[in-house]
Amino acid sequence: MDKRLIGKRVVRNEDPRLLTGQAQYVDDVNLPNMAHAAMFRSEYAHARIRSIDVSKARAHSGVIAVYTAEDMGADCYPGPPLVSPPPTVKDVIFNSRRQVPLVKDKIRHAGEIIAVVIAETRYIAEDALDLIEIEYEPLPVVADIEKALEPNSPLVHDDLDSNLAAHLVQKKGDYESARASADVIIQRRFTIERGTAAAMENRGIVAQWDAKSEALTVWDTTQAPIPIRNGLAARLGLSESKVRVIAPFIGGGFGPKIMMFYSEEMLVPWLAIKLNRPVKWIEDRRENFYATTQERGQVHEVEMAFTRDGKILGIKDDFIHDTGAYDPYGLTTPLNTQSHVMGGYDIPNFTSEFRVAFTNKTIVTPMRGAGRPHGIYVIERMMDIAAKELGIDRVEIRRRNLIKPDAFPYEHGIIDQAFAPLIFDSGNYEAVLNETLKAVGYEKFIKEEQPRYRAEGRRVGIGVLPFIETTGVGPYEGARVTVEASGKIAVATGVGTQGQGHFTSFAQVVAEQLGVDVTDVRITTGDSAHFNWGTGTFASRGAVVAGNAMHAAATMVRKKILKLASKVLNAPEEELELEDGMVRVADIPQSSISLSDLAALANPLRGAVEPGTEPGLEATAYYGPQYGPTAFGVHAMIAEIDPETMMIKILRYVVTEDCGTILNPLILEGQIHGGVALGLGNAYYEKLHFDENAQLLNASFMDYLLVGSTEMPRIEVHHLETRSPLNELGTKGVGEAGAIPVPALFAQTMEDALYDYNLEIRETPLNPNRLFEIARKEKTA
Amino acid sequence: MKLSGEYVFDGPREEVWKLVRDPEVLMKCMPGTQTVNKISDSEFTGEVTVRIGPFAGVFAGRVIISDEVPPQSCTLTIEGTGKIGFLQGVGAIEMTELEGQKTLMKYSGEAQIGGKVASVGQRLFDTVSKSMMKQGLDTLNGFLKSNAA
Repeated sequence: MDKRLIGKRVVRNEDPRLLTGQAQYVDDVNLPNMAHAAMFRSEYAHARIRSIDVSKARAHSGVIAVYTAEDMGADCYPGPPLVSPPPTVKDVIFNSRRQVPLVKDKIRHAGEIIAVVIAETRYIAEDALDLIEIEYEPLPVVADIEKALEPNSPLVHDDLDSNLAAHLVQKKGDYESARASADVIIQRRFTIERGTAAAMENRGIVAQWDAKSEALTVWDTTQAPIPIRNGLAARLGLSESKVRVIAPFIGGGFGPKIMMFYSEEMLVPWLAIKLNRPVKWIEDRRENFYATTQERGQVHEVEMAFTRDGKILGIKDDFIHDTGAYDPYGLTTPLNTQSHVMGGYDIPNFTSEFRVAFTNKTIVTPMRGAGRPHGIYVIERMMDIAAKELGIDRVEIRRRNLIKPDAFPYEHGIIDQAFAPLIFDSGNYEAVLNETLKAVGYEKFIKEEQPRYRAEGRRVGIGVLPFIETTGVGPYEGARVTVEASGKIAVATGVGTQGQGHFTSFAQVVAEQLGVDVTDVRITTGDSAHFNWGTGTFASRGAVVAGNAMHAAATMVRKKILKLASKVLNAPEEELELEDGMVRVADIPQSSISLSDLAALANPLRGAVEPGTEPGLEATAYYGPQYGPTAFGVHAMIAEIDPETMMIKILRYVVTEDCGTILNPLILEGQIHGGVALGLGNAYYEKLHFDENAQLLNASFMDYLLVGSTEMPRIEVHHLETRSPLNELGTKGVGEAGAIPVPALFAQTMEDALYDYNLEIRETPLNPNRLFEIARKEKTA
Repeated sequence: MKLSGEYVFDGPREEVWKLVRDPEVLMKCMPGTQTVNKISDSEFTGEVTVRIGPFAGVFAGRVIISDEVPPQSCTLTIEGTGKIGFLQGVGAIEMTELEGQKTLMKYSGEAQIGGKVASVGQRLFDTVSKSMMKQGLDTLNGFLKSNAA
């Protein structure tokens, strides 16, 4: 295949618009006569509502309407399950409980909406919130995921016998017999706590109802505009063709924006129709801390069986996953954890059992990493512990267990997040490890530099850590490629864009087939009026699933171009070249036609065309994989820590990524940089602190610490390309890769830096305070 | 959230007790107090303006006094709700006589907070509550001394 454009470091088509403030975000949508909504949210995490009095709010000057669940009547019912049905693993338990637009009787987490005020301005709406009077009956709170599953726990959902949302066991081989033949058994417990995605742009929705044409237009910060369109049409009793959902530029998705339907997504369009006025709601930051979904809460009890020379015989992992008050997103996150608990290793025996617990906390749905960092944290912490116990170098023990290049496709015999078989399609894991070791100078550091640092009394540690990322899952995405009369290429797809560089990497894929400039390919993403089918941007799948649909559609258009040009130029198709927006006969450059002229010929205004001819140079194609490709990478870090303050300085950060064919290294590196920033946050900065009553104690950026640019190290990114055999382009996803291994890598590096503390880190996120406590305890122990 | 401390009053225990049990006095002492209504000898309602960090708002509250052993000890059950959150707490007060007509008050309690007070104000809550407590007790002590004079 011609590689002129794919793989090139092309600067982004979208950047001029983004950098000059010309890109449209949801909050930029301002319509005549637009009203503004503000949400009255519960301050209690668990309480029964005794009474609601909105009369004063309704009477407030400038208030248009106030709605409660009662006012909404029969229209107030839960959102649809997002992932349905649950997987068909034997004896699976799944209790589906979903959020409602407005809560009628019982509050299940702080931040749930009890009433909505619509007013002439947001200021008035917010003022009116203060006039709403609610009488609560506080209930005992379910805050801890382990206590949640104890028999005497208060219930989040009174109609269930317990807080068990789901239970699922997956097995491979026979762990018990592996255990019996093991030389060494290692058991540990790991706790992983919650963080928030903290996208720069909060959520927002603008809905406009046109009563005359009975058409609804919704601008929504969603990662899934097409499913939102379909769901809204069903909910509101409208034809899908009468609902248009636009996901314009979005300031960061990171997963929580693939969640649907948020209460506000059910409410705002309903209000616009009810009031026959455009309605806008923009989430503020504090709302975001309560109402936008979160992730990461799990507790693992793990056991691993090893031979004396470090070969893994098996793993048994029991874990509890916190889903918060509802579980609209099914089992995606804990299934991802299961898929990653074996890392990139050849592990013959595996038993994993998880229980999902309802708690009185914000709903949990995938957030960049989506269960994967937990799995990698568990396996890689265990590998570090095993290396120490067995007296084997930590790189060496990993090398001995990595899946070998000739073992692909490597079948695990369990199911993944998409209920497809967990199969690692391809890879060259040891090569990626070697590349990283070389780049970071592992041998030299261990043998020369570290002893020198230690002699100087400096605590500088190194970490090296492999990880897998399951990516590019189905079901499908589509793309339509059209050569317009101008000769420019119009492309549309259903996936939305939240900063991934879609306008460039997709354009490269299309431009390569059609022989045009990347800047001449105009991409439209996330607008249901432009493309009718799709599932969304999630699971590191854009470049894989939508990318291959682009490729397929562009290939079809190329064929149409060649067929028509062959007739016009009177030359066989094999002799034609597409270049610079022209079709040329290879040996006779003066015999050529522009794509613009060809497009006009393909869509004549008069005359006759052959029967069966489709007009235009246009094609629509879809791509859906049977299962997703699995990417692999290795991160390495050298960091210094001051044991007095536990403040860190990252001296080196090296990433080697193998995500198959690289579409654009610039965009790929950007994805990795962003991922590492989130990963570092997960490792040492960001944590949501809930008290024992599930009250969030740090719901602002005063107290929730994000990684700033000054904390970010320079990241060196290296690439290896093992093409995926599953798709034409050979791509694998990379969207979450940067974030996945960081907490585990950080723990390994800190243990190495604080070598004289005999440290064993079994929790994440850490922070300087907490690390100081652990180090002091372990040192005195 | 736990709260505890002690305070030495410049007056005899009976006098301190009398002032503590007088809603009019309490209203003047407690910073931000706007109203105090006596429901019964052991139950009061009222409104207090509280400022915690970036938030200020009125708390409508109720105080119930129980396990009363005059002039020595009692238990206070407090609940307050307002636009900036809610508070529920139980506290114990114990007073012992000191030499030279002085009284030592020890207080300890536990509060549950929610809403903005918790989510944005928790870091300041401890400091604010301690400073409000100190300000109130200082004022009370002032009354005590002026009554004695």
